[in-house]
Amino acid sequence: MLKIIIPTIMLMPLTWLSKKNMIWINTTTYSLLISLISLSLLNQPNNNSLNFSLMFFSDPLSAPLLVLTTWLLPLMLMASQHHLSKEPLIRKKLYITMLAMLQTFLIMTFTATELISFFFLFEATLVPTLIIITRWGNQTERLNAGLYFLFYTLVGSLPLLVALISIQNLTGSLNFLLIQYWNQALPDSWSNIFLWLACMMAFMVKMPMYGLHLWLPKAHVEAPIAGSMVLAAILLKLGGYGMLRITMMLNPQTNFMAYPFLMLSLWGMIMTSSICLRQTDLKSLIAYSSVSHMALVIVAVLIQTPWSYMGATALMIAHGLTSSMLFCLANSNYERTHSRTMILARGLQTLLPLMAAWWLLASLTNLALPPSINLIGELFVVMSSFSWSNITIILMGANITITALYSLYMLITTQRGKYTHHINSIKPSFTRENALMALHMTPLLLLSLNPKIILGFTY
Amino acid sequence: MNPLILTIILMTVFLGTMIVMASSHWLMIWIGFEMNLLAIIPILMKKYSPRAMEASTKYFLTQATASMLLMMAIIINLMHSGQWTITKVFNPTASIIMTLALAMKLGLTPFHFWVPEVTQGISLTSGLILLTWQKLAPMSILYQISPSINLNILLTMAVLSILVGGWGGLNQTQLRKIMAYSSIAHMGWMTAILVYNPTLTMLNMLIYIMMTLTMFMLFIHSSSTTTLSLSHTWNKAPLITTLILITLLSMGGLPPLSGFMPKWMIIQELTKNSSIILPTLMAIMALLNLYFYTRLTYSTSLTMFPSTNNMKMKWQFETKQITLLPPLIIASSLLLPLTPMLSILD
Repeated sequence: MLKIIIPTIMLMPLTWLSKKNMIWINTTTYSLLISLISLSLLNQPNNNSLNFSLMFFSDPLSAPLLVLTTWLLPLMLMASQHHLSKEPLIRKKLYITMLAMLQTFLIMTFTATELISFFFLFEATLVPTLIIITRWGNQTERLNAGLYFLFYTLVGSLPLLVALISIQNLTGSLNFLLIQYWNQALPDSWSNIFLWLACMMAFMVKMPMYGLHLWLPKAHVEAPIAGSMVLAAILLKLGGYGMLRITMMLNPQTNFMAYPFLMLSLWGMIMTSSICLRQTDLKSLIAYSSVSHMALVIVAVLIQTPWSYMGATALMIAHGLTSSMLFCLANSNYERTHSRTMILARGLQTLLPLMAAWWLLASLTNLALPPSINLIGELFVVMSSFSWSNITIILMGANITITALYSLYMLITTQRGKYTHHINSIKPSFTRENALMALHMTPLLLLSLNPKIILGFTY
Repeated sequence: MNPLILTIILMTVFLGTMIVMASSHWLMIWIGFEMNLLAIIPILMKKYSPRAMEASTKYFLTQATASMLLMMAIIINLMHSGQWTITKVFNPTASIIMTLALAMKLGLTPFHFWVPEVTQGISLTSGLILLTWQKLAPMSILYQISPSINLNILLTMAVLSILVGGWGGLNQTQLRKIMAYSSIAHMGWMTAILVYNPTLTMLNMLIYIMMTLTMFMLFIHSSSTTTLSLSHTWNKAPLITTLILITLLSMGGLPPLSGFMPKWMIIQELTKNSSIILPTLMAIMALLNLYFYTRLTYSTSLTMFPSTNNMKMKWQFETKQITLLPPLIIASSLLLPLTPMLSILD
């Protein structure tokens, strides 16, 4: 695992020592090479995990997330080149350093064995993200957004720290490799109910679950493009990954404790999808769509069946790629018109036809069109929640319909129709932007040929 | 001030604290406290304005009251145990009175009212000495009598201090008052763990002193005492803004910086001793502290605050000397991987 962590740490001296015209080339190339190394982790030969040391391991759940994380760093760097082009050199280097630091913490989080070190790195990812949102965002609201982001996550996760330490006192070790063999049923008592709550609330805030999701539209909208990409694609998945790991220790309370959260997620998924239909701000629409997809993941994790775990994992990877691509597309609009309002830049298909093709593909995968992996994830979740309770099919079906509605609404508003007369002098698409979209779309389409690798550890 | 006089006074302050920390006779400890108090009054009054006089008077009155309470506790202890040696104080009355006296010296709630007002009235360097050096002597006595302290009183004062330190700092824009409320909150964290594991009190004291030293050095370097003047530093010394960001986030207790280490260890010790609600409450109240630190970083480093056009043409006074800033910055932000080494504090 050090073969991935040390090169990522060394990206930071690379940026500071590169020449002025080489920083983007150097960092993008080397981060692409690092993502190639991480692909070797997808080879999980047996049913168990790949253990590299006492501190790092990778199993079929964390390997795809790790590959997604390392794949996304070069894409973030490519996406940020335009809006940083006018900044002084030191600020560009600072930005890339923040991204590299965030990447290091994320890689270590996904591969940590000790749960305390997972917590510690989970919190550590907040600092670079806060700095990226607040320092390089564009509107005044970013200050408020940073505060909401920081404090929602911290209030949720400090009880998790206390819960993890008390579990360590009870069971003697928090090493994940041990716990999966040692697992015993949690005795039934009030304090164990609070333990369950303390463990789960951190991840519920991070996912985010419907009632605690207020930080997400603010943070996603106000962040610069790399911030939005990493937030949507990876940081939300930290919550899902944490929940998948920690629910193993929390039986049998989960049987009854999960009901309120299931209800909130099922209802929230409909509510946030419906809000998407009324959004004027493009990034805000994509942010609420993230909440809706993650609510599906929460439902899947709380049901705790093998099929739902497969659906949750596949949905996380698929949503990561799709959502990040949608943010890149929205950013390409923003860079040309400097506005996020959807109706201000309509009819782009006539002006930028290749970009319209990417918009079409992204919207189609967002609404879970077969045979994309988005569909596989959603289908597994819908099927397992149907077997858990037949009535949920109504809500799930309604959600799929509304998701299709707003994805097509977004597509048609931005691409089709007559173009607005003030945008006929926008620059054509850069090769960099087309490459960015292609690099997002290609893994998404190729994975539909072999979804086995993203189906997680219950396959 | 005449350098010779200043040297003598500083040496007396130093000597007073050393006498407190090194004695085994209760009377010598009281003498050390008095020596410290009398010698620090001229340092607090270096600026010679009515505000400084008010601050020094308030400081003198509270500390003298505390010393008198300490003397009474010593005499009661003498009456009941017949000896002057420093050991744990066996008599409960004497123990309670001594705890209250030392809490007054440290600035724990409900005796915290003097801390913001005194810190505000004096110069930045005097404030630095007040908030770091002056905490060493009372804390060392608390460390030595820790087995006999009444847990209820100490924990109540600790939790209330964390609450007051967080809540009181929310409405402040004066940097010295912000540092004062931060000191109240940190003293609360330190005394909360005193009965369970005094080594962690020492660890927290060490990290707190390093972070407070760093913050004050950075303030002294930019000669700023209000949030507004601190927000001009991006213009004059941009590197200082990054350092302020790192140190403030470390004081707020965010991983992966070293300010997280004492909080984590304290939560761990408290949880091991089967108190679960207390560390959760303390951790959440520490977020109040984090809020006003983050607000300070917003105006200083994360935004470029509007300033007048000729900021770069401002009067440039001679560069203030900041001693030991690089090691302090490292100590206040990067010490977390060295956590296993805290066993040396035993």
